[in-house]
Amino acid sequence: MKPFQYVTATSPGSAQELAGDQGRYLAGGIDLLGEMKEHIAEPKILVNIKSLPGLDKIEPGAKAWTIGANVTVAALESHEGLKKTFPALAQAAAEVGSQQIRNVATAGGNLAQHSRCWYYRHRDIRCLKKGGETCYARTGENKYHSLFTGNTCISPAVSNLAVALAAFEATVIIQRGNKHVPMTIPELYAKAWDNPTSHNSLEPGDLILKVEVPAQPRRSAYVQLSEKAAFDWALVSCAVSAQVEGNKLRLARVVLGAVANVPYQAQAANDFLEGKVLDDAVADKAADLILEKAQGHSHNAYKAPIARALIRQALMRLKG
Amino acid sequence: MSKANAPDSASVSRRYFLKGFGATAAAVATARVEAVAQELEKANAEKIQGPEAVPITLQVNGHPLKLQVEPRVTLLEALRYHAGYTGAKEACDRAACGACTVLLDGVPIYACSKLAIEAQGHAITTVEGLAPSGKLSMVQQTFVDEDALMCGYCTPGFIMSVTALLNKNPHPTADQVKHACAGNLCRCGTYPRIMQAALKAAGVSVSSKTEVISYARLA
Amino acid sequence: MPGWPEKRVQIGARAKRVDAPAKVAGAAKYSSDVQPEAWLYGMILRSKWPRAKVTRINLEKASQAPGIKAALAVREGERTVRYYGEELAAVAGTSKQACQDALRLIEVDATPLPFVVREDEAREESSPRVWDNAPNLARFKVVEKGDVDKAFSECPTVVEGFYTTPVALHNPMETHGNTVAWTDEGVTAWSSTQAIFGVRDALAGNLKVPQNQVRVICEYMGGGFGSKLTAGAESGIAARLSKAAKAPVKLMLTRFDEALAVGNRPSTFQKIRLGASADGKLQALELENYGTPGIGSGGVTEGASGDVGVPAPFIYRVPNSRVKQASVAVNAGSSRPFRAPSHPPASFGMESILDELAVKLKMDPLELRLKNDPSEVRRKEYQLGAERFGWKENYKAPGSSPGPVKTGVGCAGSTWWGGGGKGTQVEAQVNPDGSVEVRCGTQDLGTGTRTVITLVAAEMLGLKPEQILVRIGDTRFPPSGGSGGSTTAPSVSPAVYDACTKALDELQKQTGVADARGENWAGACKKLGVNPLVVTGQFQPGLSGGGVGGVQFAEVEVDTNTGFVKVKKITCVQDCGLVVSKLTCESQANGGIIMGIGYALYEERIMDRRSGVVLNPNFETYKLPTLADMPEIDLVLFEMPERGVIGIGEPVTIPTAAAIANAVANALGVRVNSLPITPARVLAALGKDKLSTT
Repeated sequence: MKPFQYVTATSPGSAQELAGDQGRYLAGGIDLLGEMKEHIAEPKILVNIKSLPGLDKIEPGAKAWTIGANVTVAALESHEGLKKTFPALAQAAAEVGSQQIRNVATAGGNLAQHSRCWYYRHRDIRCLKKGGETCYARTGENKYHSLFTGNTCISPAVSNLAVALAAFEATVIIQRGNKHVPMTIPELYAKAWDNPTSHNSLEPGDLILKVEVPAQPRRSAYVQLSEKAAFDWALVSCAVSAQVEGNKLRLARVVLGAVANVPYQAQAANDFLEGKVLDDAVADKAADLILEKAQGHSHNAYKAPIARALIRQALMRLKG
Repeated sequence: MSKANAPDSASVSRRYFLKGFGATAAAVATARVEAVAQELEKANAEKIQGPEAVPITLQVNGHPLKLQVEPRVTLLEALRYHAGYTGAKEACDRAACGACTVLLDGVPIYACSKLAIEAQGHAITTVEGLAPSGKLSMVQQTFVDEDALMCGYCTPGFIMSVTALLNKNPHPTADQVKHACAGNLCRCGTYPRIMQAALKAAGVSVSSKTEVISYARLA
Repeated sequence: MPGWPEKRVQIGARAKRVDAPAKVAGAAKYSSDVQPEAWLYGMILRSKWPRAKVTRINLEKASQAPGIKAALAVREGERTVRYYGEELAAVAGTSKQACQDALRLIEVDATPLPFVVREDEAREESSPRVWDNAPNLARFKVVEKGDVDKAFSECPTVVEGFYTTPVALHNPMETHGNTVAWTDEGVTAWSSTQAIFGVRDALAGNLKVPQNQVRVICEYMGGGFGSKLTAGAESGIAARLSKAAKAPVKLMLTRFDEALAVGNRPSTFQKIRLGASADGKLQALELENYGTPGIGSGGVTEGASGDVGVPAPFIYRVPNSRVKQASVAVNAGSSRPFRAPSHPPASFGMESILDELAVKLKMDPLELRLKNDPSEVRRKEYQLGAERFGWKENYKAPGSSPGPVKTGVGCAGSTWWGGGGKGTQVEAQVNPDGSVEVRCGTQDLGTGTRTVITLVAAEMLGLKPEQILVRIGDTRFPPSGGSGGSTTAPSVSPAVYDACTKALDELQKQTGVADARGENWAGACKKLGVNPLVVTGQFQPGLSGGGVGGVQFAEVEVDTNTGFVKVKKITCVQDCGLVVSKLTCESQANGGIIMGIGYALYEERIMDRRSGVVLNPNFETYKLPTLADMPEIDLVLFEMPERGVIGIGEPVTIPTAAAIANAVANALGVRVNSLPITPARVLAALGKDKLSTT
């Protein structure tokens, strides 16, 4: 890593000030230090934000739960109330990395984490996302890459939590300057959809404060498929949530992860599921609708059948 | 730490001071004193350090460890190369293998991905701290008894993960052991006996069908 | 004529690994842990180019950087680098950070040259040459037996297939490296190595220092698997840095480096044709194979075999065969022997096509093997294993298991040579207080060498293991060979036997006590007076051997919707000789099987065609199995004491991937012909790797 200054901030405002435009926030540190060790990131100052007051709580609420940005992924995994109310979120948390990572990784950091594309992460490759000219994955090794993108970069967003939170229509509250800016998960990643050099919509200095998850009576599920049984990035993941009235789905949301530079949804699929009774054919049709605009590359078309399987699996778990 | 890098306390106080306006005079006077006190406390907490080496104190295995390290030095590097605690190993330096696992306030983390400077104020436990008087801990002894190791390089990391698991959950299932230890890699392939050792340490005896049979008996 | 005692107390006992306490306490000092006074950190600058002409390396800024005590170019003058990661320069400094900063100040003038990193491209004449004086594709070596064309024409049943295995990386948990110090006595290197005398030899030669002034120590090492059998560039670099800096230098490679420059298992691309008569007896085999050992082909090999050839028809009896093999050079790090070199890919190819034949013949694959495997030992192992595994109950027609998650079973056989010797000598020292020290310049990679030596000595002297202190891994001790090829236990055990036998004789001569073993020991030793008794023993033939078989069965579950393969169970029946240390021997077998699972399902070094870099130089994307991926492992060691001590490290890893691949094919009804068997490959085999279902 390049040398840097280090400071612990005691308020969001001073965190922003201390970071300035050459600094980065240090929460769990897994993603940031990894980038710094490869000289992909070279901040002049690291601002430890783990002491910011009040950001490390999971607060149940009648209308919405609030999850502070500094809540660890391990805490999300093991919180009994969360497991009951938002099972997809707890399940998504349980699959993040390893126990050692979950113990330090934070909700905010997990949402803000950068691409894992092996070209992006390679110290000696200046790919499109790093300001170079070429998306190497497009013509190269792309078995882990996106089926959907709004631009040339095909590296997928990899936050497990984002996929589940999208299914809950959560809102992320960000401090930008001295304003609190709410963003839905789609808004949080929208800039990555259009812009190859973006990982998400955060501007330098933006500080994630908390996530608000609406507490409707929803069932939910999260599943992922990796090459290994544990401690492995998802090839594809899927989170679903819906209200179930009688045996009909209401307000279903189906989200795919690791297939796009955003947690991917198709309005047509969500609309289609409205009022449906869940069975294999319904699940498969929803999958067709979600995958309609998929564009495979030389090595990643296999993600489509996996997506179909996970969509079906996740939806079937809603039957209870 | 050089003074040149410390924020100018006068300017900091002034910067935060300006935010304290807008109350009655008396209240303002009291509030002002309190605000200044708070802001000075904050300024001290928000002391910018580095990039050159700064003094830090780490609590390692119950003892204070005073070092002079740059902010970019990781906890693993501090332990191994600055303090001679070579139990935790550097095998990947990328939060991917677990050989550097130590406990921070009893919780397993990758020491390679924690800055030494931010590990201050936490209780750090390394494998050396499990047997302070020389008598192996129960987990360590069970690893020996079940031969849950071969080359031994991944072993301290596994022992920390299993120790932490059993401290939190004295009676884990096999699946819980897997979940707790999936972040530790072993290239020699000692996993089956690590599982056996972890469950045995939890009081569950696992029968293994492994046996040595004399060929002559079969003929 | 020497012979192991018929009644054995220590040999074959379930004694605990003698160095386990030190390892679990974190007290064992590996080469990466040793910290001599005032030691410096060393670091290597590697080529960013897969092929380039390097004209100048400017060390000026680096050598003056803060904390830097030495900087050097690995080789003087112009040179051509031939792979991404080749060593260019190195620095030694007071901290890791100082070294990292200094490396970034080294200026390298280089002209990039055209390169090639894929085997299929490198084969073409039009491809850039890795070595100027030779084409990338070596001439095919052809080995023929009988009349294969005639035999094929007469075979009623012929099957064909194309099987590939990837380049795999050893990735021991402790990276390669050395801590080197120069003193008045010469050079001392704490080396993470499988071959201390090999390293000593290389260092002495490189540094032009007499061998009697070079000492190599390897008390504990964190795995090697064959990649640490030679000194490697980094040992000489560390020594040169240490000399220039006048201070000890610890130079350990990073995990990134491990993927580039310290060896790998060559890939294979095997086109196989197999013909059988109606009764299932194999008659004809044609195999054409190429693969890459990186740059270790054609002319220069960097400590590598450079030979990608697989033994064919492996363990089977085929009277007519034609085997054509050639290596193809690419701009990538050279291969090095990797746990049972060439055997796992040979097993994968041969066992895959054999199962295809079984399917075509509508024969039970186990029956087909029993018909064609000439080894009586393996046939017995198949029978025992089949019973324990439940082969008859679980074997079903391929693809016939119901539901989307399909189960399947497969099996495969193994063979390995091994054997002992290597001029091994052992010193035994008996002290007047009865304590014993046994010294040998051998290595323990985690294999349990120390424990083996302890138990043999304890047995021969009639003592308990606690009374024996074993010292290994120092070139000041009597020599043994490198620890590879599963030869260590068979080499040291007879030498220890000899040393102890001589010690007892000598003890009798000096003290008059006829049989000093057991209860008489303390009294006899006391009679020695002040000086200990020291004797040297040699390797003796007749106490160890080589050549084992082994079979493995695998049961898998494959989700045909996602392609995910779960190994449920592995049953391994492995013959070995006299088992000295039961516990450590069993652990070796577990380890080999798990390495085979990695080879079957996860491991693959990936080169990027466009940039020529290794894309997965880390554990994130070069994937190793974790505890969560473990199947049930049922292990039977077939002890054959009359064969003497036989090493077991390699045979146990050979057939695992083949058995798993066969089980997957049995589950699916179609075969994945390439390792690793990833979900992507399973779905492709099922024709499902498409965006739409129509």
